[in-house]
Amino acid sequence: MNTLADTASPDSADTGSSLWQDAWIRLRRNKPAVGGAYVLLFLIVISLLTPWIAPYDYEVQNLDLGASPPSAQHWLGTDVFGRDLLTQIMYGGRVSLMVGFIATAVALLIGVTWGAVAGYVGGRLDAAMMRIVDILYALPFMIFIVLLMVVFGRNILLLFLAIGAVEWLTMARIMRSQVQSLRQQEFVEAAISLGLSQSAIIRRHVVPNALGPIIVYTTLTIPSVMLLEAFLSFLGLGIQPPKTSWGLLISFGAETMEEYPWLLIFPGLALTVTLFSLNFLGDGLRDALDVRGSKD
Amino acid sequence: MKHTYRKCTHLLAGVSALIVVSLVGCGVGESNVVIGNREGILHLGNASEPTGLDPHVVTTTDASRILGALFEGLVTRNPWTLEPEPGVAERWEISTDGLIYTFHINPKAVWSNGEPITASDYVWTWKRALHPKTGNRNAYLLYVIDNAEAFATGAIDDFGEVGVKALEEAILQVTLRGPTPHFLVQLMHHSSYALHPETILKHGEMTDRFTQWTRPENFVGNGPFILEEWAMNRYIKVGKSPTYWDRDKVSLNGVVFYPIEDDNIEERMFRVDQLHRTFTLPLDKIPAYSTMPDTPFRTAPYLGSYFYVVNNLRAPTDDVRVRKALALAVDREKIARTIMYDSVIPAYGVVPPFIPHYTPPAPFAFNPERARELLAEAGYPDGEGWPGLEITYNTSEAHRKIAIAIQQMWKKNLGVEITLANQEWKVYVETVNQKDYQVARMGWIGDVYPSSFLELFLTDGGNNDSGYSDPRFDDLLISKGGQSVTREERYRYMQQAEALLMDAMPIIPIYSYTTRLLQHPSVEGMPLNVTQSINLKYAELVPGRTLPDSIR
Repeated sequence: MNTLADTASPDSADTGSSLWQDAWIRLRRNKPAVGGAYVLLFLIVISLLTPWIAPYDYEVQNLDLGASPPSAQHWLGTDVFGRDLLTQIMYGGRVSLMVGFIATAVALLIGVTWGAVAGYVGGRLDAAMMRIVDILYALPFMIFIVLLMVVFGRNILLLFLAIGAVEWLTMARIMRSQVQSLRQQEFVEAAISLGLSQSAIIRRHVVPNALGPIIVYTTLTIPSVMLLEAFLSFLGLGIQPPKTSWGLLISFGAETMEEYPWLLIFPGLALTVTLFSLNFLGDGLRDALDVRGSKD
Repeated sequence: MKHTYRKCTHLLAGVSALIVVSLVGCGVGESNVVIGNREGILHLGNASEPTGLDPHVVTTTDASRILGALFEGLVTRNPWTLEPEPGVAERWEISTDGLIYTFHINPKAVWSNGEPITASDYVWTWKRALHPKTGNRNAYLLYVIDNAEAFATGAIDDFGEVGVKALEEAILQVTLRGPTPHFLVQLMHHSSYALHPETILKHGEMTDRFTQWTRPENFVGNGPFILEEWAMNRYIKVGKSPTYWDRDKVSLNGVVFYPIEDDNIEERMFRVDQLHRTFTLPLDKIPAYSTMPDTPFRTAPYLGSYFYVVNNLRAPTDDVRVRKALALAVDREKIARTIMYDSVIPAYGVVPPFIPHYTPPAPFAFNPERARELLAEAGYPDGEGWPGLEITYNTSEAHRKIAIAIQQMWKKNLGVEITLANQEWKVYVETVNQKDYQVARMGWIGDVYPSSFLELFLTDGGNNDSGYSDPRFDDLLISKGGQSVTREERYRYMQQAEALLMDAMPIIPIYSYTTRLLQHPSVEGMPLNVTQSINLKYAELVPGRTLPDSIR
C-alpha cells in the first residue's frame, strides 16, 4: 500500500495498464510472495513427477530393516515397516496438495457464487439462501462428512468434494458481506445505469473487487482442509494405508516421536514449508489485488 | 512410611507433566520400594480403578487381583504349577463318574471377623451369584453345576434343586451336570469365592449391588489379606490378615494397588522406584529394556490368541482354499520378530501352544508357493479376477501396524489387492457380530483348558463370528469331549477338534499373547505364568536389591 502514490501517478495512467497488469507488477515486487510461489511450483512439479522419480516403491516393506534414521540409502530414513520416508512424503504430498487444491476450489466455487448471488440480489432470496447456510452451519460437520462417506462410499475424489462441500459456508458469508457493501458503490450504480445485465455486473465488477478477503480466506482454507483430511483418515474415513498423506504421516509419526523422531520431523517440515509458502503467496496476492486499497 | 506413598500417589491424579515433577519430588526422601522392602509392603501397578470389590459385580482383571488377596476359594492356584491346591477346602473327593465333588472345609479357615466358614456360606453365596436379580455377568461359570443354569435363567425358583448341598457344617457337596475336569480351575475364579452372609445382609438385600459392605470399615473376607484403605483413584491398600488359616506362610505385611491407566506413566514410576512391579510395558520400550544388563523386564506366554477371523459365509472367503492360501501367505515369525519386537509367539492354531498337558495338532508352515497354488485352484491364479478383500480392525496403533504388514504380505505373496478399514471399538464389535465384514482382527483370552478357546467355534455359539459350523466339531467338543471323565481322554478329543477346525481355517492365527512387565529384583514368589494370575500368599520381598543404574 505504500506503493499507492506511484500507481496513481499520471504516467502509469498514460501507459494504460489494466487492473491485472498492475496487480502482476505489484506481486512481482513482493519477494516473499514470489519465493512462496516458486516453492509451491516446485512441490507441484515434484508431486506430478513422483511416480517416475521416487527413489523407492511406496508399498514395498523391509520389515527386517524397520525404522532406521536417515542414511545414504534412505535420505530421510525409513518407517517401522522399513519403507523409505522420502518416497512416503512424495506420495503423501500428492494426496495432501490435491486435497488442498480440489477441496478449496470446490469451496471457492460454491461459496463465492452463493455469497455473490445472495448479497447482490438481496431481499427474500438473500434471506432464504443465508438461512440455508445457517442451517448447514448448525449441522455438526463431522456427522455431515461421515454421512456423505457412508452414502457414497470411500473414494478419494468424493472425500475431496465432501470436505469442499462443508468448507464453503464461511466463504459464502464473507462474499455476501463484501458484495453488500460493494453494490452501494458508485461504479456499480454506473454499471446498472449503463444497462449491464445482473450476471455481468456480478462477474465483471463485484467479484473482482471482493477478491482480497476471498484470497486471504482461501490461503487459510487450504491448510485447514489438509488437516481435516488427516483427521478423517485417522478415523478411518479418508485415505487408508498403504496410501498416505502428510497428515497421516504426521499423526503416525507423533505416536513414536520419542523413539523415531525423524518420522515426525520430516513430514512436519514438508507441511510447514507448504503452508508458509501458501501464506506468503496469499498475502502478496491480497496486497496486489486490493484495488480499492490502492486506488482510493 | 504411610506418608511417603500417599504423597506420591496424590500426584497421580494430576496432569502427566505434574507427575514427572512430583516423582522427582518423591525421590528426595525414601522411595516406595526402599520403604516397602524394609516394612514388607509390596507396591503394584494395577491398570485401572476397579468398579467395585463385590465378586458378583466385577469382571475385570484389576479387581480380580485385589479380590484374590482379600478372599480365598475352596481351592487356590499354585502360581508355579497352576494346579489347584487346598484353600478353604483342606481336601476333596471326586466320584468315579466325575459328577459329584465333596469338599471338606478346613476347620481352621475363618472369616476375618473370626467366625468359622461353613458349607452353608457357600450355598448362600452361590445362590446370590446365580440369582437373576444379582445380575452377575460371570454366573455362567457356575453353569457346570446341575440345574444352576435353570435357576439363573429363572426356569426354576427353588435353589434346593441346584446341585449344591451343605451335608454337614463343614462338608459341601457339589453335583455337576456333566463331567468337567476343569471344575476345580473354575473354583479359583473370583466369582466362586464365598461371601460372609451376615455382612452383606447388614447393608442390604441379598441381591443388592453396590452396597456399603465393600467399604474397608465393613469388609469381611477370608483371604491372606484384609482391606485397610480404599482411596478412590489413588490406591487400594490391603494388610496381612491376623485370622487367615495359613498366615504363617504369608510373608508380606501388606500390598498397595495403584490404578495407573497410562502405561508410559507407569513405566516412569517404576524407573524412579515407586512400584515393585508394573502391570504392563509399552511396546516401543521393549528394545531398550531387553538389551539392558540385569534388566527388570519380564515376559512370559499368556493364554490369549490374536487372529484374523474370516467370514466363512461370503465370497471369496467362503472357499476353504482361499482361506488356507491367506493363512499360508502370512509370515508370522517375521511379524513377531520385527513389528512386535519379539514380544509375542507366532501362532498356528486357535489354542495357544502352552496349555499344560495339551498338545495342539501339528502346525502348518509359512509357505507362499503352496498358498499361490491354492489360490490358483480356487480360481484366482496370481490374483487374477480377485474381487478384493477388506481387513476390518478397531482403531489402535498395534492393530494398524499388523494389518499393514499382512496387507503387503498378501499382495506380495498372492498378488491380491487388500484394503484396510479401521473402526471405533463399539462400531467394530457391532460390525463383527453382524458378520458384516470380510476379514476382521480378533483377540480371545481363555483359561488353562483348551475348550475355553475351542468353544468359540460351536455352531450358533454366541461368539462364533466366523460362521463356521461343523457337526463333527460340535460332537467332538460337546458330546465326546464333554462326557470324558479323564483329562487325557478329553484333551485327545479337543486335539482332534482343533485339527478339524484348522483344516477348515475359519480364522487365520497370527500370534499368542505374552505378558510383559517390569519387576523389581527384590520381588520373589510372583512367577509370571500363562494365566497372568498372582497368588500373593507366596509373594516375598528381599531387601537390599536395587535396579540396574542404566535404567535412569
